Amino acid sequence: MNSEVSQVLSKRNLDIVNASLKRRHAAESRFRLYGLLSIGAGILMLVILLGSIFGKGYRAFSQTYIGLDVHFDPAVIDPEGLRNPEALAGADYNALLKRSLGELFPEVTDRQEKRALNRLVSGGAAYSVRDEVLAHPELLGGTSRLWVSAGPDVDMLEKGYVDRDAAEAERIMKDRELGWVDKLKADGRLERRFNVKFFTAGDSRDPEQAGIWGALMGSLYTVLVTLVLSLPIGVAAAIYLEEFAPRNRWVDFIEVNINNLAAVPSIVFGLLGLAVFINFFGVPRSSPLVGGLVLTLMTLPVIIIAARSALKSVPPSIREAAMGIGASPMQTVFHHVVPLAMPGMLTGAIIGMSRALGESAPLLMIGMVAFIVDIPHSIFDPATVLPVQVYLWADSPERGFVERTSAAILVLLAFLILMNGTAVYLRRRFERRW
Amino acid sequence: MNTLAESSTVQSRESVKMKSPEKEALIAAHQREFTKTIGEIASPNPRIAAREVNVYYGDKHAIQNIGLDIGHNEVIALIGPSGCGKSTFLRCLNRMNDTIPGCRVTGSIRLDGQDIYEGGLDVVPLRAQVGMVFQKPNPFPKSIYENVAYGPKIHGLASTKAELEEIVETSLRRAGLWDEVKDDLAKPGTSLSGGQQQRLCIARTIAVGPEVILMDEPCSALDPIATAKIEQLIDELRELYTIAIVTHSMQQAARVSQRTAYFHLGRLIEVGETAQIFTNPRHPLTEDYITGRFG
Amino acid sequence: MTKSTLFFVLVLLCLAAYRVGCHRSMQVASGNIRALHSLPGYYGFFTALWCCIPALILLGGWLAFEGSIITQMIVSGLPEDVRSQSPEQLGLILNDVRNLVAGKGASSQNLVLQQAAQDYIRLHALSDMLLGVLALSAAVIGGFVARQRIQVSLKARNHVEGALMIFLIACSMVAIFTTVGIVLSVLFESIRFFQLVPITEFLFGTDWSPQMAIRPDQVGSSGAFGAVPLFTGTLLISAIAMAVAVPVGLLSAIYMAEYASPQVRAFGKPLLEILAGVPTVVYGFFAALTVAPFVRDTAQSMGLDASSESALAAGLVMGVMIIPFVSSLADDFINAVPQSLRDGAYALGATQSETIRNVVIPAALPGIVGGILLAVSRAIGETMIVVMAAGLAANLTGNPLQAVTTVTTQIVTLLVGDQEFDSPKTLAAFALGLVLFLATLALNVLAMHIVRKYREQYE
Repeated sequence: MNSEVSQVLSKRNLDIVNASLKRRHAAESRFRLYGLLSIGAGILMLVILLGSIFGKGYRAFSQTYIGLDVHFDPAVIDPEGLRNPEALAGADYNALLKRSLGELFPEVTDRQEKRALNRLVSGGAAYSVRDEVLAHPELLGGTSRLWVSAGPDVDMLEKGYVDRDAAEAERIMKDRELGWVDKLKADGRLERRFNVKFFTAGDSRDPEQAGIWGALMGSLYTVLVTLVLSLPIGVAAAIYLEEFAPRNRWVDFIEVNINNLAAVPSIVFGLLGLAVFINFFGVPRSSPLVGGLVLTLMTLPVIIIAARSALKSVPPSIREAAMGIGASPMQTVFHHVVPLAMPGMLTGAIIGMSRALGESAPLLMIGMVAFIVDIPHSIFDPATVLPVQVYLWADSPERGFVERTSAAILVLLAFLILMNGTAVYLRRRFERRW
Repeated sequence: MNTLAESSTVQSRESVKMKSPEKEALIAAHQREFTKTIGEIASPNPRIAAREVNVYYGDKHAIQNIGLDIGHNEVIALIGPSGCGKSTFLRCLNRMNDTIPGCRVTGSIRLDGQDIYEGGLDVVPLRAQVGMVFQKPNPFPKSIYENVAYGPKIHGLASTKAELEEIVETSLRRAGLWDEVKDDLAKPGTSLSGGQQQRLCIARTIAVGPEVILMDEPCSALDPIATAKIEQLIDELRELYTIAIVTHSMQQAARVSQRTAYFHLGRLIEVGETAQIFTNPRHPLTEDYITGRFG
Repeated sequence: MTKSTLFFVLVLLCLAAYRVGCHRSMQVASGNIRALHSLPGYYGFFTALWCCIPALILLGGWLAFEGSIITQMIVSGLPEDVRSQSPEQLGLILNDVRNLVAGKGASSQNLVLQQAAQDYIRLHALSDMLLGVLALSAAVIGGFVARQRIQVSLKARNHVEGALMIFLIACSMVAIFTTVGIVLSVLFESIRFFQLVPITEFLFGTDWSPQMAIRPDQVGSSGAFGAVPLFTGTLLISAIAMAVAVPVGLLSAIYMAEYASPQVRAFGKPLLEILAGVPTVVYGFFAALTVAPFVRDTAQSMGLDASSESALAAGLVMGVMIIPFVSSLADDFINAVPQSLRDGAYALGATQSETIRNVVIPAALPGIVGGILLAVSRAIGETMIVVMAAGLAANLTGNPLQAVTTVTTQIVTLLVGDQEFDSPKTLAAFALGLVLFLATLALNVLAMHIVRKYREQYE
């Protein structure tokens, strides 16, 4: 074959290639579009997810309050004139609230109507009156305007969840209740304020009394236990496996175990916690201690894997330099390698902790789902954690819990963003290229 | 990719070394002196004609003002020390530089009179006409047959299975690999030896029916016997194709090429008949290089 | 002495032992550090280790056995008629005693219980005191012995490093203990479960209604533990999830790795990764409150009958959760494909999408398959989304608009709330846990094997 023939052939080929170009470039742009659409879909889902939660939850940060002129009648609060805290704490403050409401709406006399009227104020409002009296005993006998939280229906109405135009029978609030609320509003006795209680109270059956402080403290204790246990153990394990372990089957087996544990469903760790920690070792159920133990086992693989890659990124020349001046292997590792790998290890630890903070499934197994009103004060007290609180509230039928759930999620996400942001900052700040 | 990264770091290191004022003055003098290529860059019957080609990687001026013709059915060897821009120039010829982020090419390169850097030009038919063989053999992780058939398949060059088989056989024969692999066409391409892999890559390139084949140090990863086979193959392929080969080995350039171009620090210093370049270099830098003073 | 003060005192003793060790080493070397084998600090650590390790071992052992021994002693102190009751009853009585001790619950009028509670308090005080004396004397003796052993030639550094090495090795064994713990805890309970319910019925039965078998004596007659509907439900939801996650995750990884400009990558990748950081309970809430009603209403508007706890809603949301998992793994594997392969295809005149589809993806395929298997294992084990958004009804159906239940949902329902630890209902949860563990273990090991082989190919 000579070059002339070859040229004719390649000219023919070129024609074929040119003829196929249009189709192939169309396929090219289609393929590109699919990729772009996929990313768009992912980001769209993120926006919808966060948007729907924010849209549902931001209103929970405010709460409707009703201003009532409460007469601190000594005859009701302290009929025996003892004036000691026990007597003051045990009084019937609901009666005071009912009386104040009755004075505002003297026309309401019917028993059933009265009951509806009293429902304008939250069932837990009496406790805030009590706290006020306990804090200022000198109020006794006088009258002052107290702002107490409104009942769930009023709160829903104020936040726009109740359609005033709907037929009366389909509304949770009837016309006369709307009238009362409007009158309170006209008198300047109805206000939306920042919902302090949401951040300072424990759980409650009443949405307007429920707060996340208990769950937050529970989360704090649980994550602390996890951190204190998993960071040293994880780092030590990583140091051994990366720096000292011989290459043999046994170490391979450990590595397979770690990699597998990183992918074992979290609920299985819950079963482990239930069977081993609670039933075998007798660790108190529902306590942050047992929660922290379970989460430690769960986050260990994450921390070990991160710490190992941090150690791996320290160049061998550092080790050789230290060994070269007569440092023992242990001194080399602890004086030179570990400090250099520390930022990477800490980043891994923070990411592990943020995972632990968001985890809920295994904690359901070990009793951290109990309804707990008290704020936990130690790692042995029964407690729940923020994600489990979200789960509990999401299951509650009351309408008011939907926005609390979303708000609790927002708080949880804020913490997670904070932690991951710190991790990213640490990584950027201390990232070292060898 | 690798060589390019390497060469650019080499260049950056050299420029770092040359930071003192007297050295900079030296460099400036150097550049004034050597802007013009010695020798005849034009060819009577050019297949590829490059003029005033400049390539930038970001801020780095990788090759400067290069003009060179590549004639029909000739083998031209591009030689020069590491980082001289010979690979970069080669990759300009079928626009493989497009895949490198931050790479910018100016000037004109014509293939049979058609400017390949013209806006809107499609690289697909260009690369079908100008094939390339790389430094390290890079067979696809597929069977030998699929490796060779891949190009004709995507371009639709064969309308029947028999036709495709014929293309595969012809290409493997031309690459001198047919007798070694004809019974194992279903084996993965990666199972071959290094030299066989490189010939497989050449067969893969031939299968598309190109006019020009660019070879970027095709033997640098091979042992001497495999290298000899490839060199022999290049000599045979010259009848059918135009070949530009980048090589580190001056002996190889002398053995396989008719013309040789010597690159130095991003410039084309001298070009001429291979025999003349190796026996009677006109430029002192060329002489220094081929006598082994650096490189 | 309470245990926390004991612990505190031990820490102080260790600090003191460190000082003593340092001081003593200087003394034996008569002030000449160079005469010592190790630095004085190592002699300090050496002494401190001798001081605290025996005491800590004692403390640990004591804590592990104290509870059961005291309980044994209380039980043997109870009157004969109380002791002869069934173990469950006895457990309840002990619980009452503990409540009494903690001051919780109404103060019982039962004299026996009060007596037991007093015994309990007395024994605990005794045990604490005994432990305190023993642990502190162990610490002091240990420290003293170590101090006596300090000589110029003592290789203190080697001793300390040896102890440290033992600690490091012990820490790396935690992973193995965890696996063993998981296996043992689910295996034992499962074996007990399979004694009550035949394993074949569990694995191949199609009727699941564990609620029926509340009392142990009813087992077999009314409770049904056929787990097939659970398996199919799990598979259905996982399949929906993978149908969402694999194409979306893979295509976005391809776009990110091959097409996106650095700016788009810097912006898009972290955004997608946020999806991975969102807690699962949030996805569950989203699925139950937003997606499930949407799916139901859409289906109804098209004239289809849909449950408000449809498998589709749970599966879709789970798919969204897994997208970043698939895409980040796929991204890794695609980036691991050497550029030379791409160059080879480009040089033949392949377009970018042809290069990706015919060269890059096939080359990255083993890794991608491994990543997908890992994603499947995640989908199977995912709990919160299905607990909150999927149903409890064990329907044997392939219709994604109907409610199905999953293995993890059932584990949670069976174990949350008050439970008797021996009823087949709770034991069934462990049997399900065993199945779940084995399934994910198989997937993980297979996936890791494939991925490892893949990585070796390009290293």
